[in-house]
Amino acid sequence: MNTRANHSATPDPEAEQLDSEIASIRTQIQNLKRRKRFLSSSLLASPNVQPLLRKSPTTLDDDLSPLAQAAGKHSTTNHYRIAFGTTAFPFKDPSPTASSENLLGVRIDVSTRNGRFAKPYYILLQRERARGEKEMKLRVHRHTVPSFISMSKLEDVYLPSNKKVSSANEESDGDDSEEEMRKLKAKGNTRKQDLRAFVRELRRELVAWHLRCDAVEMLRERLGLGDDAESNSVDRLSPESKAGIVSLDSTSIETRYVRLEWEDGRVGRFKLSNTGHVERAVVIGDLGRDKAIEDAMIGDGAKVETLLERLKEHTS
Amino acid sequence: MAPPKSVRAPTTASLPNNLRIPSTAQSLTKTLNKLSRQALLDLALIWLDDQNIKSFPPYLQREETNNEDEEALPYPAAETIEEARQAYEDMQERKGGKREVLERILEGDWRQGITLRQLAMADIRYIEDHPASSRWTALELERIDPKHKTPTNSSEAWASNIPRMQPATFVKALQHEISSLVKAHYHLARSNTLPLTFLRIFIVDSPYQSPRQSPEIFADASRIIYVAFPDSSPYIYTSVAITTGSNAKPITSSSSIATDPKSLHRLVREAVPKALSRPHERYTLKATALATKNLPTLLALRGAGRSTAANGSFSIFADAALEGSPLDPRPSNTVSAQEHMRGGHKPVKDEDKENNTDTAQELQLPSHPKRRLSGTGTGMDGSVSPSSKKRRLAVDSRFGSASSSLTPAPLDRLDIRLLDAPADSENDTRTGVLPPLSLTFSGSDVIGGIRKLAELGVVDPERMPSWMTGEEAVSMAVVRGGRRIPMKN
Repeated sequence: MNTRANHSATPDPEAEQLDSEIASIRTQIQNLKRRKRFLSSSLLASPNVQPLLRKSPTTLDDDLSPLAQAAGKHSTTNHYRIAFGTTAFPFKDPSPTASSENLLGVRIDVSTRNGRFAKPYYILLQRERARGEKEMKLRVHRHTVPSFISMSKLEDVYLPSNKKVSSANEESDGDDSEEEMRKLKAKGNTRKQDLRAFVRELRRELVAWHLRCDAVEMLRERLGLGDDAESNSVDRLSPESKAGIVSLDSTSIETRYVRLEWEDGRVGRFKLSNTGHVERAVVIGDLGRDKAIEDAMIGDGAKVETLLERLKEHTS
Repeated sequence: MAPPKSVRAPTTASLPNNLRIPSTAQSLTKTLNKLSRQALLDLALIWLDDQNIKSFPPYLQREETNNEDEEALPYPAAETIEEARQAYEDMQERKGGKREVLERILEGDWRQGITLRQLAMADIRYIEDHPASSRWTALELERIDPKHKTPTNSSEAWASNIPRMQPATFVKALQHEISSLVKAHYHLARSNTLPLTFLRIFIVDSPYQSPRQSPEIFADASRIIYVAFPDSSPYIYTSVAITTGSNAKPITSSSSIATDPKSLHRLVREAVPKALSRPHERYTLKATALATKNLPTLLALRGAGRSTAANGSFSIFADAALEGSPLDPRPSNTVSAQEHMRGGHKPVKDEDKENNTDTAQELQLPSHPKRRLSGTGTGMDGSVSPSSKKRRLAVDSRFGSASSSLTPAPLDRLDIRLLDAPADSENDTRTGVLPPLSLTFSGSDVIGGIRKLAELGVVDPERMPSWMTGEEAVSMAVVRGGRRIPMKN
């Protein structure tokens, strides 16, 4: 380092180098600190340490015990979240004008293909007592579910209530709700609310969406079309087993339809069902529809995971 | 090569893509002049691309023509397409003004005129470069279906609230709806930066394929309607702001023939949901009380993402700033919100590389001292007084993580009508005697501004109603007792 400093005539490069070194050391310190915290909380929460801590209550410092307790509690929560996927929590609406400030939160965790969990989905439910009703009714107040899953429909079916003021339909005009009331009166009694079924259906839809995304991602990776072509080179197919596919991608965020392109200019599209099957497929080339390939795509069990194998068999 | 003018019969076809607008038209120059030099160069190279060269043939020097006039022009015609392409590539490499590119396009290679499609491409490029250039209204697509209440066993019952849209089919259906009333040119384009598909509709009130109006109208902004279709969400955005629904009052008297751009807009707007509908699956458009100049805001508040129904104090849920993944061994309250927000999408292999690069953490650091400085309760030594700390906590709980959010959604305008009596809000007398109070906030980021005011202590963060925190995700609202009440159109 000294020799390099001597070479440079002005002190500026040296100072710059030192600055960058300091900066890199700082980030290193920060990362190490983070790692230390990560490891220490892992250690505290680990199943080997927790029972030991609990066994000796008297010897523990006052400083240590809250930390250990928090770690134990946290790992229990995490176990619930991993095992059941759906957990509930209370939330207080900070708005002073809220009609009911105590909200019931539902958290849905969905695990994805890369061994991680997707950002948790939340649904916050409001408890309301309709006029002239004894029991409290739940209704969706806020949620973070992507909008292609119709919350208002789910709510209509599983959380029916007399007052139709769900957040999605808030702007519906007066005569609509009147009509609603008339319908309900004609029916006599309203159906019961079923929160469990509501959450079950919603979770199923969310998981299905993530599975669809994962399936498309997997196909892309095997075709070498993934974002980082380096990863998972084991699964990569040889060029001849790609069946001439040059592009494969979902047409929208919902990943219901997937678009394919072949070397020879044929284009295709297939519909992915919630169960991971190719439901329908259309392939069009210069000479019109290619029925043989379509049949190969939807035939033989139609699992999306084996789509490439089926196409390869078809071409060979 | 002017379009043939011998046959002029009224038709219901759309305006052809290759209809040329004389390059001498003032409005054309004005439209193209809005674009940057780089955008013009990109466009010219796209037009000269092998795929498009048939649609937009440039003017080439032909051997037999030895016209004296042409040599006098500053841009002699290129002999081959490669030569023309080379000219733009050369301009790309060297620095220079926008003027030379514009002049080369209008007076050189496309001296015979710019086609409608080229103009549409230029307009779309301008919107892409300037996402805040026009005002967009968000509308919700709602299914009109009397039987939708009955639960179905179909596994996709919950996911089918969005009409399936094939752009080409949609344009055909739209054309079918409006062709008898309006002559239009359609241009569909996929956005390069946002998950959107743009549809640009140019409307003319003439039944002829080559209208005889002055060429100036082809770039008349009031005759252009943009419709944007965000991916996978039951909303559409349009650049027209007319009240929706069939019960909307026509702006002009209905007897007059639709000739002014406004009623043409209305016709198009009413045709859009019809074109999206199919037998047994009819849709209507519903206002969602949100209009803004910023397309990313619309995508955040009326898009497919997490933040559509969780804003204001609930944005902590949209950003997942509260808790981490269930695999994180650290208790949630010991981890910063920023780290939580980044959490979910970190791929596995990052863990090994953690020591090398972690710039995101550093980038977020400076935001903290800044916010501390903006508080008035900050002492000389930088310590924070308890009251100011309490206020900051209150502000954070009301506005959530919106300021540091991954999907910032600035509103440029917020219109509020208060129906409460000024003195006594508990009184339930809703007589018409009380004058309604209207508030209009405008600026680059209205909600962010209210947050700043709350941080400075001008607004009481604990008592302010939730429409001030952006929780309602609207730009227009009627408020009574601090709560938004449904609007009547």
